[in-house]
Amino acid sequence: MVVSPDIALQVVIWGLYAGCIYILLATGLNLIFGVMKIVNFAHGELLMLGAFVTFTFFTISGFNPYVLLAASVPILIVLGVMIERLCFRPILGTGKLNEIFISLGLIYIIQNAAAIIWTDEWRIIHSPYESITISVFGVNMPLDYLIIIITTIAILVALYLFLRKTTLGRAMRATSQNRKGAMLMGINVERMDMISFGIGAGLAGAAGTLWAVSGQVFNPYMGSLPAIKAFAIVIIGGLGSIPGAIIGGLIYGIAENFAIFTLGGAWKDAISFLILILVLIVRPTGIFGESSE
Amino acid sequence: MLEVTNLNAFYSNLHILWDVSLSVGEGEIVTLLGANGAGKTTLVQSLFGFIPRIEGKVVFNGRDVTGMHPYDVVKEGLSLVPEKRELFPKMTVAENLELGGYSRSGDARDLEEIFELFPVLQERKTQLAGTLSGGEQQMLAIARALMAQPSMLILDEPSLGLSPLLVGNVLDTVARLNKDGLSILLVEQNVEHALEISNRAYILENGRIIREGDAQVLLHDDEIRTAYLGF
Repeated sequence: MVVSPDIALQVVIWGLYAGCIYILLATGLNLIFGVMKIVNFAHGELLMLGAFVTFTFFTISGFNPYVLLAASVPILIVLGVMIERLCFRPILGTGKLNEIFISLGLIYIIQNAAAIIWTDEWRIIHSPYESITISVFGVNMPLDYLIIIITTIAILVALYLFLRKTTLGRAMRATSQNRKGAMLMGINVERMDMISFGIGAGLAGAAGTLWAVSGQVFNPYMGSLPAIKAFAIVIIGGLGSIPGAIIGGLIYGIAENFAIFTLGGAWKDAISFLILILVLIVRPTGIFGESSE
Repeated sequence: MLEVTNLNAFYSNLHILWDVSLSVGEGEIVTLLGANGAGKTTLVQSLFGFIPRIEGKVVFNGRDVTGMHPYDVVKEGLSLVPEKRELFPKMTVAENLELGGYSRSGDARDLEEIFELFPVLQERKTQLAGTLSGGEQQMLAIARALMAQPSMLILDEPSLGLSPLLVGNVLDTVARLNKDGLSILLVEQNVEHALEISNRAYILENGRIIREGDAQVLLHDDEIRTAYLGF
């Protein structure tokens, strides 16, 4: 099937939007992995919680759902800090297997807790801009997509400035590059673990709000598919690399949309894993990854 | 200044250090000698709280620092230049140095002062630490440790992996820092050069201190010369 340039551009822009949610998830995963060397398998569940927090506040207050980022992000940061303190801190340094099973266990704990609070019905919320379509560079797109893209860019820029320009951000990067070296500088590395988990969870919370606002349905068990895609992006981009997460997320979102357009919706979830396999064959460390020592 | 009394260290069931006692006085430079596997690095690591199981007592500047977290020991004014340098490879030289002053927020040493001591680092200021040569990395590791304005510096094999010319360079720098009033514990395999710049020395063998004394006396001791200098 031939795709005309107009449609191709449309698909790319839709892909940018789709990539945003995955980029936020994958960036959080990479931040946590970079500092703590832990893979948080329950990351999709944090997205789900972000969506439900947005849903609850939206139902109670009727606020513009984008404003509710101001609720979902801080609540998820606090939750992330609690998870680090209660679940990961006690087993620090006791072995990879413990970390893996704790984070796998968290999936079911969080899912079931959410099902008790919100029941397991599928939910949806409606953005106030739902029916508005605008034209950007001659491409028609829903206003919501544009807002989501801009919001994601703003969050990533803020994160970049935090990591590059603040003392705390530099200390976190130092911890991820050399934990022992960081300790010798007087950096309290356990505190860095806590903060990185908090920020990673906060990014997942933001992703959850954007998921809900974009009109996608959610229930307590919906977190695993976006999480698996975020893992694929992390691997495509290179483990621990935030630029890698961004590039990987964009490739992924665009490829997914092209697949829907050219091959049909059934290929949506499969295409990304085909890309993953291809990237791993050509470059086993991911696009931005470095070979481990 | 640093007082170690009957220190024992263990790795799971392995008993590595046996009743090690040593001291470094104010303004002194003391060398710790010993063959590979004698326990030198373990000793250094236990002073900084990196070894989970230790017994005995470590007192620094009158404060008991035994078993403290590494990041708290550093705040007491004791800095380490570790054996593997432990730099931040994807950060610039300047960023590495700034992190060196992390424990002294606002009160860190002036970068200009460091660049006077290590001119080569000024040239490499914006270069990533991971791209420096071995000698430059060692200089950066020492400079970074100095940023915290420590009252005592421990250097774990600073000459490891360097060319003979650079070894002299590094050890001369160490001697100069000591002349400026910094107390130093130097862990070295480069016995002759280390003893030349030291006041006193300890010799560690199989986890025990087997000799201690004046550095000049040990340098001319026949037994030491045969065991560690090879002639």
